[in-house]
Amino acid sequence: MKFNWFHLMPYRWLPDNFREKYHGVWVDLPNALYDPVAGHTLYNEYLDMLEYADQLGFDAVGVNEHHQNGYGMMPSPNLMAAALARRTEQAMILVLGNSIALYNPPVRVAEEFAMLDVMSGGRLIAGFPVGTPMDVNYCYGQNPATIREKYREAHDLIIKAWAEREPFAWNGKYTKLRYVNLWPQPIQKPHPPIWVPGLGSIETWDFCAERGYNYSYLSFSGYKRAQRMIDGYWERMAALGKEPNPYSCTFFQQLCVSDTDEAAEREWWPHVDYFFNRCLHLYPGMAAPPGYTTEASIRAGIVAQAGNTSLNLGTNKSWKQLVEEGYIIAGSPATVRQRCEELAKSLRCGHLGLGMHIGSAPMELTNRSTYLFATEVMPHLRSIWSEWEDHWWPKALPEEKREKPGSHNAAVKTRVERPAEVMV
Amino acid sequence: MTPRSQILNLSKDRPSIEVLEAGEGQPLLFLHGAGGIVAWEGVLPRLSSKYHVYAPLLPGFGQSTGLEYLEDQFDLFLHGFDVIEALGLERPYVVGESLGGWMAAEMAALRPKEIGRLAMVAPVGLWRDEAPVADLFGMMPGELVPYLFHNLECPAAQRMMMLTMLFSDKDDRTQEQVEILIAMSRGFRTAAKFLFPIPENGLERRLWRIKAPTLIVWGERDKFISPIYADIFREKIANSEIIRLPNTGHLIGLESPEPLAEALLRWGQSQH
Repeated sequence: MKFNWFHLMPYRWLPDNFREKYHGVWVDLPNALYDPVAGHTLYNEYLDMLEYADQLGFDAVGVNEHHQNGYGMMPSPNLMAAALARRTEQAMILVLGNSIALYNPPVRVAEEFAMLDVMSGGRLIAGFPVGTPMDVNYCYGQNPATIREKYREAHDLIIKAWAEREPFAWNGKYTKLRYVNLWPQPIQKPHPPIWVPGLGSIETWDFCAERGYNYSYLSFSGYKRAQRMIDGYWERMAALGKEPNPYSCTFFQQLCVSDTDEAAEREWWPHVDYFFNRCLHLYPGMAAPPGYTTEASIRAGIVAQAGNTSLNLGTNKSWKQLVEEGYIIAGSPATVRQRCEELAKSLRCGHLGLGMHIGSAPMELTNRSTYLFATEVMPHLRSIWSEWEDHWWPKALPEEKREKPGSHNAAVKTRVERPAEVMV
Repeated sequence: MTPRSQILNLSKDRPSIEVLEAGEGQPLLFLHGAGGIVAWEGVLPRLSSKYHVYAPLLPGFGQSTGLEYLEDQFDLFLHGFDVIEALGLERPYVVGESLGGWMAAEMAALRPKEIGRLAMVAPVGLWRDEAPVADLFGMMPGELVPYLFHNLECPAAQRMMMLTMLFSDKDDRTQEQVEILIAMSRGFRTAAKFLFPIPENGLERRLWRIKAPTLIVWGERDKFISPIYADIFREKIANSEIIRLPNTGHLIGLESPEPLAEALLRWGQSQH
């Protein structure tokens, strides 16, 4: 199985009275709470964490897209991915944004993903989320009644733009372009692997199955709550006659490793508490605009009953509850190993997305957790699902063909700066 | 009073529309708001005591279907004329509430000669930054009710509060309650398709085209759409008048049905 180290990039200084004083962490959170100078440090620390994961041999590093959000400071995941393309060498780059219906025209996404793929030597995994209601409807004003249709059209346009070798016209309902002619083209053919994050809608499962995309289940509720949903996914794949290849499914899990179970609680609880009780302080009035969830999904019973306003985000739970109910996997390397194995096998997922920076966690604690996972957990889990082929993984250039950032300057440095020496 | 119900099949690949009908006399076309028509109550029976009221339901409400055929607002307005045509109405008196008031105004601006008389009851459709229209789609249902009614003790407000009790963090609803919620959400989806995220799409620059004598009714205590919008409608529509109802919020037809009916009936008879 494969492991991607996934960052949300939360703001770490939401005030103590955050839940009492503010409506929610998203959409209308006053930006007066944000200090850009502190943000400068955060971005750099967070990118360092991702680079460290690359150095330790994680299969991929991941970023995502949120808008007007106190726990996700990446309105543009592509900017982060561009920074990572230059500063990482081994890991694939998982960009689990671009909410493709937001971009006008959507060829912008095709262009930027192609740029990332070319810059990184074909290491890109292209994420195509619909996007949360908070992001796409409330922050970006997309109509909930038509967003899924707009998403489909944007998808078709991007795929065609990646495939065509001649300019073509696109007369869509949402986008009209006389000349689509993509420069540059991605290295990966016909295009980078596409992963679609979702929260459990039949339409998305079918969409992924029909097109051979990876379905990435991203919730903060952990693997135990996810069982029913993921069972639904596999049942649907079986009904559609798809092979039950675990690599078609990614599961996202918050996870922290310390030297012992006790140390994990002591060191991580303040940051986990910050995450579940401040970062996930969401306002349910902006979570379900009419039309966003289709009637078919509501009726299929894979999401909560109509009228259920709880978001199951782990608020007001103790460390013990969060661990036992699987909201987080936490503890010593041995504990985490056992839990991860249980997770992978019960959910049948070949890709594990690891939220290894949680809430207000500082640099050193996070890197220690990353280090322990890479050295004492990951090697023991590698062989799970090894009998299956991963069709959802980038076909990057072979390592010897990938450029090393800075190598070209180094090659000419002496000749440029001291030509006389070279002549001698 | 129970209205008659008929289904209009407008054409192939067009919506199929449920029309509620009651009363005798001159025709009155009633265009409902974002909540649809849950019962023949409030202002409706009072209007159908003097008029032959036709109340078509938009796709997504009641038994009406085919929202996918109404792709944008002009499809919606033309659909309004398709319904008038199918019902065989000539230059009818059109009364619209909120969303329906906006639709009525747009129709009267689009084809001024085909709307005989117009009454808009707290319509959406305009926007001023200093008086933003409340976000119908960005609140919990229980939080919305105080925006819709001035008197939260009135029976209609109480009933709506009861309905909002169906929203909770449990999965304990009966199948019947689930169906009510799904139906509500289906109607809201239609409203969202045309009104999200800001219920304004250029009506103001079309208002001058309205020729029909136009009554503008507003609750003085409307917290959903500020009464300042009544003045803008009045200023931009040549042949128009305002009636302001005291101690009344946004859903006038439910909160103050008597004075609203009186105003609408009088407007129907007036010599404007």
